Amino acid sequence: MPFGNERKSVELQIPIFQWFAKASTAFTENKPGYAALTGEEFPLHRFLLANALPLTKSMLGVGLATAGLLLIERFSPANLVPIVYLIPVIVAATRWGTWAAIAAAITSAAAADFFFYPPFYSFRLDDPQAIVDLLLFLVVALVSGELAARLRSETESLRQREQELQYLYEFSRRLAACFTVSDLISAIQNYLSGTLGRPTAFFFATSDKNFQPEPAGAVPLTVQEHAASMTRKNGLRADTIRDGATKSVWLLRSVTSDDTTHGVIAVNIGSDSRAVIDASTRRVEAILAEASLTLQRLDIGGAMEEAALRLKDQLLRDAFHGNLSHELRSPLAAIRGSASVLESMPAIRNEERAYSLVEAVTDEVERLDGFIGNLLNATRVGASDVRPHLACADPRDIMNAAIRRKSRQLAAHNIRIDFDDDLPMINVDSALVEEACGQLLENAAKYSPSGSTILVNTRAAQGRLILSISDQGVGITPDEQQHLGRRSFRSLRHQASVPGSGLGFWIASTFIKANEGSIEIVSGSQGQGTTASIILPEAQIEEDQSAGSADE
Amino acid sequence: MSKSTNLVLLIDDEPKIRRFIRAGFELHGGFTVQEAEDAAEGLRAATFSAPDLVILDLALPDRRGTEVLELIRSWSNVPIIVLSVEANEEEKVRLFEAGADDYVVKPFGIAELIARSQAALRRYFKSPNENPVVVAGPLSIDLVNRTVLLNNNQIKLTRKQYRLLHVLASHVGLVVTHDHLLEEIWSGSVRKNIQYLRILVRDLRQIIEADPNHPRLLITESGVGYRLQSRFEEVSAGSSVMRLD
Repeated sequence: MPFGNERKSVELQIPIFQWFAKASTAFTENKPGYAALTGEEFPLHRFLLANALPLTKSMLGVGLATAGLLLIERFSPANLVPIVYLIPVIVAATRWGTWAAIAAAITSAAAADFFFYPPFYSFRLDDPQAIVDLLLFLVVALVSGELAARLRSETESLRQREQELQYLYEFSRRLAACFTVSDLISAIQNYLSGTLGRPTAFFFATSDKNFQPEPAGAVPLTVQEHAASMTRKNGLRADTIRDGATKSVWLLRSVTSDDTTHGVIAVNIGSDSRAVIDASTRRVEAILAEASLTLQRLDIGGAMEEAALRLKDQLLRDAFHGNLSHELRSPLAAIRGSASVLESMPAIRNEERAYSLVEAVTDEVERLDGFIGNLLNATRVGASDVRPHLACADPRDIMNAAIRRKSRQLAAHNIRIDFDDDLPMINVDSALVEEACGQLLENAAKYSPSGSTILVNTRAAQGRLILSISDQGVGITPDEQQHLGRRSFRSLRHQASVPGSGLGFWIASTFIKANEGSIEIVSGSQGQGTTASIILPEAQIEEDQSAGSADE
Repeated sequence: MSKSTNLVLLIDDEPKIRRFIRAGFELHGGFTVQEAEDAAEGLRAATFSAPDLVILDLALPDRRGTEVLELIRSWSNVPIIVLSVEANEEEKVRLFEAGADDYVVKPFGIAELIARSQAALRRYFKSPNENPVVVAGPLSIDLVNRTVLLNNNQIKLTRKQYRLLHVLASHVGLVVTHDHLLEEIWSGSVRKNIQYLRILVRDLRQIIEADPNHPRLLITESGVGYRLQSRFEEVSAGSSVMRLD
């Protein structure tokens, strides 16, 4: 963009004065074609082709002004000539630019000389005052024309810049939505053809170094062949070829990130002059440089794949956490609630068989709910989404809550709870630790006979807090112990007799690890019971805290 | 409670849940139930029917339950009990901050919901000239004279211990969040320090609980706060464990 502006202003300055010098000596005709003939090095025919219509229009404006003046002159001889002639000059400048303004100014001066300065109907001027008048008019007309034209070109370039920003914005928006290389390529292609207003085509490099032909048939065969050879030769990054048939110039640039060539982009620059082609080339190169930087930053392949994977994982987890758990738990809530209402009805309460059935419904619903909770926890663990929120907690509260929550599963056992006096506080996520304690309690109940005792012991030792749960059950063999931490591990001995998903211990150990603790399993030998101990670091408590409660 | 029957507004989109809650409240007696199946209807009913208690499901089809909660709270003090499948602690704390009086996690038994509802109603309709003595199990707390009786013997508490008991007693049966307690008892930078609260609770339990290791009066609501139990739960897990022991 900056190049364009500089170039334009240079173009504006020089020809005006060249033209002015030449025109002032040699304008004997109204037709600008003749005047322009003098500019030797200038590509005249191209200039005329582009400007014929505006020049004719500005000339027509001057004619109209002349006719108007002739009419006014008939009624009042007011000296309006120079002012009225300024109108077509400024109109031409604002609408069609500098050249039209210059043409209008010169024609106006000529027409004024011809019609309104004595001797009339001749280009000759006798009165020196008239010569000064006309020269002054010419200067004023040229300067104001130039100013108006510059204003116009500035508005134009502002509008263009706005458009370009718009394209750039769209480009970046599309970049943000890119999930594959081809998305990115088509974004580049769109952007280029949008900003340059030129047809663009992209040739994808496939893995076998061939290129996929672009469906758009607008690309000439020679260009296609060239692009194909460029995708094959990794070294060649840029090329410019002129298509014989259409006389248009095609820029070929390869799009690469690190050391892979994604393809070749071909831009039709058209058949303009050398300067226009150069400017377009620079812009294409700037855009491609930006695009390849983006490509590198994205590290396309890996990043895309990872994003897709993460998305899938996340979707699964979100589905389970959001909808599925809601869908599963809502009917359970209705069953559980309805059963609880039945349970409270005197007719059911007094009928023992009915009452025991309702109780069974409630029990099973709670078991199902526990399974769903376990699955939820398992997806959390599987997705490494266990982020503990550490806070100071009383270990007794945690253990009591776990026992209360598992009261149904523990109902057939004797629970002996043994808390040491003077237990320290612990800095943990109490929900996670409670869940882990619950899992271990449930396991203890599952793998030990009804009526046996489960001993819960909580004590502090060497700056650590130990929560241990001992059962009098079948114990764990050393072989089984090796597999314990694995997800879904269930010992062959129990698969048929004890229900379970094998997730419990895995969840418990993950949750405890997240709290910077560990679980130890001690089992004498078969039939001697098992002790599972959760070991957690003690909270560091500031010295003055006990004063907080003991004062006053 | 000041009324013979209390109007319960039940906002839940699932008809089967509404059905059992209605049945439970009507069987229990002392309640009439009005149902609303979405947030719009619920908000309308909350405005025009002037319910004594709102039971609000968090998962509504047309609006988020927390929004409904905040909207009702913006003009009314009516007790609100939230039903949710989410047992997330942060979520619970947020609900209390938004103005919920209590929550019940699905699935739940009707007895639990009715007990929470009664506690919320009791607090809401407590008039100043009513008996200012809160009874919780063997404990009775005179909120005006600032005396505490345990099994009819007066006990001595430090100022902070009394303050803790006072706040819990004035919300008897309901959860009081950590933040609320810290704010009521301490001031300044100490406010954020939950350790102090844990230790204060431990000290208070030593005095008021028959077995401080298995508290039955001053109950911990994991990650959320504390609750002073108004009566011992009949089938409380703690008691059944104790019985087996």
